[in-house]
Amino acid sequence: MTRFEIGDRVTVRDATTLFHTRTQAYTRGCTGVVVEHRPDWIIPEDEAWGRDRDGRTEPFYVVRFRQSELWSDYTGFEIDTLETEFSERWLEPAEEAAT
Amino acid sequence: MQRRVSDIGPVERTPLDSPYTISTDLYEALRHIPHDVGGQADLPVPYLEKEEENWEMNTYVTCECLAWRGVWNAEMRRRAENDLGATLYFGLPYYARWATVATKTLIDQGLITPDELSAKIDEVRARLRKAAS
Repeated sequence: MTRFEIGDRVTVRDATTLFHTRTQAYTRGCTGVVVEHRPDWIIPEDEAWGRDRDGRTEPFYVVRFRQSELWSDYTGFEIDTLETEFSERWLEPAEEAAT
Repeated sequence: MQRRVSDIGPVERTPLDSPYTISTDLYEALRHIPHDVGGQADLPVPYLEKEEENWEMNTYVTCECLAWRGVWNAEMRRRAENDLGATLYFGLPYYARWATVATKTLIDQGLITPDELSAKIDEVRARLRKAAS
Protein backbone atom coordinates (compact mmCIF):
# COMPACT_ATOMS: atom_id res chain seq x y z
CA MET A 1 0.00 0.00 0.00
CA THR A 2 1.53 3.28 -1.05
CA ARG A 3 0.69 6.65 0.41
CA PHE A 4 1.30 8.54 -2.86
CA GLU A 5 0.13 7.82 -6.40
CA ILE A 6 1.74 8.64 -9.74
CA GLY A 7 0.99 12.28 -10.50
CA ASP A 8 0.70 13.37 -6.85
CA ARG A 9 2.45 16.58 -5.96
CA VAL A 10 4.79 16.02 -3.01
CA THR A 11 7.10 18.19 -0.92
CA VAL A 12 10.37 16.87 0.49
CA ARG A 13 10.59 17.17 4.27
CA ASP A 14 13.42 19.21 5.78
CA ALA A 15 14.24 16.67 8.49
CA THR A 16 17.50 16.63 10.43
CA THR A 17 20.04 13.98 9.46
CA LEU A 18 23.25 14.04 11.40
CA PHE A 19 25.09 11.06 9.98
CA HIS A 20 23.74 9.53 6.81
CA THR A 21 20.98 10.11 4.31
CA ARG A 22 20.29 9.74 0.61
CA THR A 23 17.92 12.70 0.59
CA GLN A 24 19.89 15.50 -1.04
CA ALA A 25 19.97 18.82 0.78
CA TYR A 26 19.05 20.70 -2.40
CA THR A 27 15.70 18.87 -2.61
CA ARG A 28 14.59 19.73 0.95
CA GLY A 29 11.46 21.80 0.97
CA CYS A 30 11.08 21.49 -2.80
CA THR A 31 7.90 20.28 -4.49
CA GLY A 32 7.75 17.82 -7.38
CA VAL A 33 5.56 15.15 -8.95
CA VAL A 34 5.63 11.40 -8.28
CA VAL A 35 6.47 9.68 -11.58
CA GLU A 36 7.34 6.14 -10.55
CA HIS A 37 6.81 3.65 -7.74
CA ARG A 38 9.92 1.76 -6.71
CA PRO A 39 9.91 -1.53 -4.78
CA ASP A 40 9.78 -1.47 -0.99
CA TRP A 41 13.27 -1.48 0.45
CA ILE A 42 15.09 -0.95 3.74
CA ILE A 43 15.43 2.80 4.32
CA PRO A 44 19.04 4.05 3.91
CA GLU A 45 18.99 5.36 7.49
CA ASP A 46 18.83 1.73 8.71
CA GLU A 47 20.70 -0.05 5.91
CA ALA A 48 23.70 2.22 6.52
CA TRP A 49 24.01 0.67 9.98
CA GLY A 50 23.94 -2.87 8.68
CA ARG A 51 20.30 -3.56 9.51
CA ASP A 52 19.86 -5.68 6.39
CA ARG A 53 17.40 -8.02 8.06
CA ASP A 54 15.56 -5.99 10.72
CA GLY A 55 15.72 -2.53 9.12
CA ARG A 56 12.53 -0.55 8.50
CA THR A 57 11.12 -1.15 5.03
CA GLU A 58 9.24 1.54 3.08
CA PRO A 59 7.97 2.21 -0.43
CA PHE A 60 10.27 4.37 -2.54
CA TYR A 61 9.18 6.96 -5.09
CA VAL A 62 10.86 8.64 -8.03
CA VAL A 63 9.97 12.33 -7.91
CA ARG A 64 10.42 14.72 -10.85
CA PHE A 65 11.31 18.34 -10.08
CA ARG A 66 11.58 21.31 -12.37
CA GLN A 67 15.19 22.46 -12.29
CA SER A 68 13.90 25.99 -11.64
CA GLU A 69 12.19 24.64 -8.50
CA LEU A 70 15.51 23.28 -7.20
CA TRP A 71 17.78 26.18 -8.17
CA SER A 72 16.53 29.71 -7.69
CA ASP A 73 19.18 31.02 -10.12
CA TYR A 74 18.61 28.33 -12.78
CA THR A 75 19.19 29.77 -16.25
CA GLY A 76 18.35 26.73 -18.43
CA PHE A 77 15.12 25.86 -20.18
CA GLU A 78 11.87 25.92 -18.22
CA ILE A 79 11.13 22.30 -19.27
CA ASP A 80 14.38 20.98 -17.73
CA THR A 81 13.74 18.46 -14.96
CA LEU A 82 15.59 16.29 -12.46
CA GLU A 83 14.38 12.95 -11.09
CA THR A 84 15.53 11.41 -7.84
CA GLU A 85 14.33 8.85 -5.35
CA PHE A 86 12.97 9.07 -1.79
CA SER A 87 11.68 6.68 0.82
CA GLU A 88 8.13 7.43 1.91
CA ARG A 89 9.09 9.14 5.18
CA TRP A 90 10.75 11.97 3.31
CA LEU A 91 7.64 13.03 1.38
CA GLU A 92 4.46 14.83 2.38
CA PRO A 93 1.52 15.99 0.27
CA ALA A 94 2.26 19.36 -1.33
CA GLU A 95 0.04 22.11 -0.07
CA GLU A 96 -2.00 23.41 -2.96
CA ALA A 97 -0.76 26.84 -3.92
CA ALA A 98 -3.31 29.54 -3.15
CA THR A 99 -4.89 30.64 -6.41
CA MET B 1 51.35 29.21 44.55
CA GLN B 2 48.83 30.78 42.21
CA ARG B 3 51.57 32.76 40.52
CA ARG B 4 53.72 29.64 40.09
CA VAL B 5 50.84 27.80 38.42
CA SER B 6 50.18 30.72 36.11
CA ASP B 7 53.80 30.50 34.96
CA ILE B 8 53.44 27.00 33.58
CA GLY B 9 50.25 27.35 31.54
CA PRO B 10 48.81 29.85 29.11
CA VAL B 11 46.57 32.35 30.86
CA GLU B 12 44.24 32.59 27.90
CA ARG B 13 42.97 29.61 26.03
CA THR B 14 43.34 29.67 22.25
CA PRO B 15 39.77 29.83 20.95
CA LEU B 16 40.43 27.00 18.45
CA ASP B 17 41.90 24.75 21.16
CA SER B 18 38.58 23.62 22.51
CA PRO B 19 35.25 25.12 21.54
CA TYR B 20 32.84 24.73 24.41
CA THR B 21 29.93 26.19 22.48
CA ILE B 22 29.34 26.94 18.82
CA SER B 23 26.78 29.07 17.03
CA THR B 24 23.64 27.61 15.53
CA ASP B 25 24.86 28.68 12.07
CA LEU B 26 28.13 26.81 12.52
CA TYR B 27 26.25 23.73 13.71
CA GLU B 28 24.04 23.92 10.60
CA ALA B 29 27.20 23.91 8.48
CA LEU B 30 28.89 21.12 10.44
CA ARG B 31 25.93 18.77 10.36
CA HIS B 32 25.99 18.87 6.58
CA ILE B 33 26.90 15.36 5.42
CA PRO B 34 30.17 15.36 3.45
CA HIS B 35 28.98 13.54 0.33
CA ASP B 36 25.91 15.76 -0.05
CA VAL B 37 27.52 18.64 -1.92
CA GLY B 38 24.85 19.42 -4.53
CA GLY B 39 24.23 23.14 -4.68
CA GLN B 40 27.21 24.14 -2.56
CA ALA B 41 29.57 26.81 -3.84
CA ASP B 42 32.56 25.34 -5.68
CA LEU B 43 35.06 26.03 -8.42
CA PRO B 44 34.72 24.54 -11.90
CA VAL B 45 36.41 21.14 -12.24
CA PRO B 46 38.19 20.33 -15.52
CA TYR B 47 36.73 17.38 -17.42
CA LEU B 48 39.32 14.62 -17.87
CA GLU B 49 39.10 11.55 -20.11
CA LYS B 50 40.31 8.95 -17.64
CA GLU B 51 40.46 5.17 -17.96
CA GLU B 52 39.85 3.00 -14.90
CA GLU B 53 43.16 1.91 -13.44
CA ASN B 54 43.94 -1.57 -12.14
CA TRP B 55 44.12 -0.54 -8.50
CA GLU B 56 40.74 1.14 -8.81
CA MET B 57 39.02 -1.94 -10.24
CA ASN B 58 40.83 -4.15 -7.71
CA THR B 59 39.52 -1.94 -4.91
CA TYR B 60 36.01 -2.08 -6.33
CA VAL B 61 36.04 -5.88 -6.63
CA THR B 62 37.58 -6.30 -3.17
CA CYS B 63 34.82 -4.15 -1.64
CA GLU B 64 32.12 -6.11 -3.49
CA CYS B 65 33.65 -9.36 -2.22
CA LEU B 66 33.62 -8.00 1.33
CA ALA B 67 29.89 -7.35 0.87
CA TRP B 68 29.37 -10.83 -0.54
CA ARG B 69 31.16 -12.26 2.52
CA GLY B 70 28.89 -10.29 4.85
CA VAL B 71 31.35 -7.67 6.13
CA TRP B 72 29.17 -4.74 5.04
CA ASN B 73 26.69 -3.51 2.44
CA ALA B 74 27.02 -0.63 -0.02
CA GLU B 75 25.08 1.77 2.23
CA MET B 76 27.45 1.00 5.12
CA ARG B 77 30.39 1.74 2.86
CA ARG B 78 28.88 5.10 1.94
CA ARG B 79 28.26 5.97 5.58
CA ALA B 80 31.81 4.96 6.49
CA GLU B 81 33.06 7.36 3.79
CA ASN B 82 31.04 10.18 5.38
CA ASP B 83 32.47 9.22 8.75
CA LEU B 84 35.98 9.90 7.47
CA GLY B 85 35.15 13.58 7.91
CA ALA B 86 35.41 16.34 5.33
CA THR B 87 39.21 16.60 5.34
CA LEU B 88 39.87 12.96 4.47
CA TYR B 89 36.73 12.64 2.33
CA PHE B 90 37.62 15.49 -0.01
CA GLY B 91 41.36 14.86 0.26
CA LEU B 92 41.31 11.25 -0.93
CA PRO B 93 40.69 10.14 -4.53
CA TYR B 94 37.38 8.33 -5.11
CA TYR B 95 38.59 4.72 -4.83
CA ALA B 96 41.12 5.61 -2.12
CA ARG B 97 38.05 6.44 0.01
CA TRP B 98 36.76 2.94 -0.68
CA ALA B 99 40.10 1.34 0.21
CA THR B 100 40.44 3.43 3.37
CA VAL B 101 36.98 2.63 4.73
CA ALA B 102 37.39 -1.05 3.80
CA THR B 103 40.46 -1.28 6.03
CA LYS B 104 38.74 0.74 8.77
CA THR B 105 35.75 -1.60 8.68
CA LEU B 106 37.96 -4.70 8.84
CA ILE B 107 39.69 -3.23 11.91
CA ASP B 108 36.34 -2.29 13.48
CA GLN B 109 35.21 -5.89 13.10
CA GLY B 110 38.44 -7.32 14.49
CA LEU B 111 39.28 -9.09 11.23
CA ILE B 112 42.65 -7.34 10.98
CA THR B 113 44.62 -5.26 13.49
CA PRO B 114 45.95 -1.73 12.95
CA ASP B 115 49.55 -2.91 13.36
CA GLU B 116 49.08 -5.70 10.80
CA LEU B 117 47.75 -3.12 8.36
CA SER B 118 50.58 -0.66 9.08
CA ALA B 119 53.19 -3.42 8.73
CA LYS B 120 51.74 -4.44 5.36
CA ILE B 121 51.69 -0.86 4.11
CA ASP B 122 55.32 -0.42 5.23
CA GLU B 123 56.28 -3.69 3.52
CA VAL B 124 54.74 -2.61 0.21
CA ARG B 125 56.24 0.86 0.51
CA ALA B 126 59.70 -0.64 1.06
CA ARG B 127 59.22 -2.92 -1.96
CA LEU B 128 58.19 0.01 -4.17
CA ARG B 129 61.11 2.10 -2.95
CA LYS B 130 63.51 -0.74 -3.74
CA ALA B 131 62.00 -1.19 -7.20
CA ALA B 132 62.35 2.52 -7.89
CA SER B 133 66.02 2.66 -6.88
